[in-house]
Amino acid sequence: MKRDLMDIVCCPLDKHDLELDVDVEEDEVLEGTLTCTDCGETYPIEDGIPNLLPPDMRD
Amino acid sequence: MTERRDVRATYEEIASHFSETREYAWPEVEAFLDGRRGRRGLDVGCGNGRHTERLADCVTHAVGLDASRGLLDEARARLAAADLADRTSLLHGDAAALPLRDDAADLAVYVATLHHLPTRTARLASLDELARVLTPDATALVSVWSTAHDTFDETESFDTTVDWTLPGGDTVPRYYHIYSPDDFRTDLADSDLHLSDLELSSGNCYATVTPE
Repeated sequence: MKRDLMDIVCCPLDKHDLELDVDVEEDEVLEGTLTCTDCGETYPIEDGIPNLLPPDMRD
Repeated sequence: MTERRDVRATYEEIASHFSETREYAWPEVEAFLDGRRGRRGLDVGCGNGRHTERLADCVTHAVGLDASRGLLDEARARLAAADLADRTSLLHGDAAALPLRDDAADLAVYVATLHHLPTRTARLASLDELARVLTPDATALVSVWSTAHDTFDETESFDTTVDWTLPGGDTVPRYYHIYSPDDFRTDLADSDLHLSDLELSSGNCYATVTPE
């Protein structure tokens, strides 16, 4: 995930801003977490792709 | 009743085989994109990225979204091979709850995906979400499989499953809501999108839309 994607992504549930926490980064963020600054829901960045599925769509 | 999770699970199971059979962009999508330009493109239900690739030629940056991680991995490989990794991004997400801010895109395609959402509520929510993320001057193409297709005798909209046969012979059912053109017009009218043009082509309904 490129850092500038933060300009357009948001929480799928309430559309509020997300906070980015990076665990692994090279040219892009490979592993990390996006956290909704309003509802607190967390979304993982897995092997470079953010998983922004709502909780009821996850495995 | 088909659940959204079941639809997603279906695609995870068939992703790489499915991707192989979705090699080429649809001519109707290419015709829509021909001559259009934008800053930020969005491909809802991008699958293996075959249309994201075309969209990326028209915009500064294109985002592909899909509910299937397996298909997104195929898209990533395809876009990298086309030297488009720098100008594209992929999101794992739900077409009915887009993880995108308002005015995130000014050119979008939403091809052959809406018909996999199993309830009218979800389909309308998804159309509203598309309207929400489009800029006021944006244009988008939304396509669905239609009763007009030769395969179907029905004239009214109906729900069905179509089996996908994997290389080993196992079959996986895929949910579809097959739209009559009138019902597609109705859903678009009931959504926050404005219909500019509706065409039937190859048994699919193609709607050119703008936000209301």
